[in-house]
Amino acid sequence: MSHKTITFSVSRSNIDEAGQERNRRRQEFSLEVNDRMTVLDALEVIRRDQDQSLMYRHSCHHGSCGTCGMIINGERKLACLTAAAALEVDTIELQPLRTMNPLGDLAVDPTPLFADYPDGATYIRRSEVHAEGRKPFEVDHWERFEDCIECGLCVSSCPVTESFIGPAALAAHNRELINRPERRTELLEAVNTERGAWPCARALNCSRVCPTGVYPAKHIAELRKKIEQDGMAPAAEPGEKRAR
Amino acid sequence: MSSYHVVVIGGGGTGAAIIHDLRLRGIEATLVERGELTSGTTGRHHGQLHCGARYAVKDRAIARECMEETYILKRIAAESLEANYGLFVALTEEDEEHAPVFIQSCVESGIPTKEVPVEHALEMEPNLNPEIKRAIMVPDGTIDAWRLPLQFFATAKHNGARVHTFTPVTGFTYSGSNISGVQVYDLKTRQERTIKADLVINATGAWAGQVTKMADVEIPITPGPGTMVAVKKRLNNMVISRLHPVGDGDIIVPQRGLSIIGTTQYKTDDPDDIAVPEDDITEMYRCADMLIPSFSSRKYHAAWIAARPLAGAASSVDDARNLSRDFNVVDHGELDGPDGLLSVIGGKATVLRAMAEQTVDAVCAKFGVTETCRTAETPLLAHRAYFA
Repeated sequence: MSHKTITFSVSRSNIDEAGQERNRRRQEFSLEVNDRMTVLDALEVIRRDQDQSLMYRHSCHHGSCGTCGMIINGERKLACLTAAAALEVDTIELQPLRTMNPLGDLAVDPTPLFADYPDGATYIRRSEVHAEGRKPFEVDHWERFEDCIECGLCVSSCPVTESFIGPAALAAHNRELINRPERRTELLEAVNTERGAWPCARALNCSRVCPTGVYPAKHIAELRKKIEQDGMAPAAEPGEKRAR
Repeated sequence: MSSYHVVVIGGGGTGAAIIHDLRLRGIEATLVERGELTSGTTGRHHGQLHCGARYAVKDRAIARECMEETYILKRIAAESLEANYGLFVALTEEDEEHAPVFIQSCVESGIPTKEVPVEHALEMEPNLNPEIKRAIMVPDGTIDAWRLPLQFFATAKHNGARVHTFTPVTGFTYSGSNISGVQVYDLKTRQERTIKADLVINATGAWAGQVTKMADVEIPITPGPGTMVAVKKRLNNMVISRLHPVGDGDIIVPQRGLSIIGTTQYKTDDPDDIAVPEDDITEMYRCADMLIPSFSSRKYHAAWIAARPLAGAASSVDDARNLSRDFNVVDHGELDGPDGLLSVIGGKATVLRAMAEQTVDAVCAKFGVTETCRTAETPLLAHRAYFA
């Protein structure tokens, strides 16, 4: 296993009583990493050995909790799934996701992400793995968690500037509609609004950065199609037409 | 309603369940966590909802408690569980011989088991090693290690608990020789402050010894790190365990689109000084392939390590697996320590609610509060409600 010294250039800041970011600056930390170490592993070592006041979010360390999303050399990624050495650079620049509320340094409060999620949306879906095979006891189907880990990378990467509920909440609406077809009309009405399914201009950044293959852009397209299928009048012109 | 105020240190599963229980019993609760919630051990755990079958042969009491808590979590937090059962499979003749004692131990622990013909097991889980000799189903499952605690945090917050993340404790405050609160440093605002408390609960798991050290108290806790490796593909729906005496790398937990093999077990002094040994990854792949032969050919996803909070002093045993997975609540005032500080020692994710019940029972006994525990019957709010 090879080793390499990398400079981590980290956005540092704190917040005031009103939650406004203050004293934003960059601080550099130098660290020797091996091939397998992720950006999160590196931050853990930097915090332990160099600066215990460094703030960043993390929990599962394997891309399941969605807490460690950040901007790594300009790209939205999960720190826990990004091998530092594989970026093949000498300096790695780290910034927080600007679409969430700042807490200081790389840490954010993701509350804005959830503002437009459908009420009571389930987090359990049918497992597609061995779905046709025999089941035990009275089990009708296998189940699993939804793919979306609510990391907010899609929202952070979306170029739409007008008021927009965003790719994560829209994907959640379509997933809930698939899980609970009986909620179809209510869910479609909720997204058939000026800031709902229509501002999307199909840049597809959301689907590119999603670490769990949710493909939010596909869900947005499906929602638009379902709105039309159900004979609802679109609440606005699609974003891509307006963008032209 | 009482006017007592309890400060809980540690935002893992235990702390989450404790502040929820405190609020249901009308006790004011504030939780402080040095980083993000569940950023210590809780969030990194293997993700197995343990019905107790794994522990039954060695410890019927722990097994029974795991089973009871599994039933409770399915009632109060179903949205954070993939409740697909578990399958214990025998690979060798020796494993086969272990089956009768395994089944008997489960029966004695109140854990329902069902032996299924090998052919049936392979139909349910086609990726299993076709050479398996026996297969026994138990009510295991998968926990979302972030969203289950968050459901407790969400409900506690809704009921008036205060939660402060990125707020490490820097020391205790005293009234005479009794602990009267905590000093904290809010990293977000870069400000120090004091939080007064009628009682402080140390729920920091593997870090419990570091916290009590600030009060000049030593406790028997040993951080026990273990490695997990995930591949990119859900290969099974049930949790697949090897039917043999508990060992390394004998559980594959499915979760979302991943399969996760674990784990190993070491002893360490510092739960912050843990890194995945490269040999562990090779060994985990070797073990996983015995259960699901295609495991190591799948794309590597992640490897990580988490420090279990093992109850007992490291010096008392050679093998960390001989340290207990049980938990207990220590009132330092009743030993040689200061009054006003309780520590939760040991424990496991599946029994987080039971750990909280026992801890808050001790709190109520101290305060003379007569409210009984209601957490087993109180459905939790959705995890997203934490951010509402």
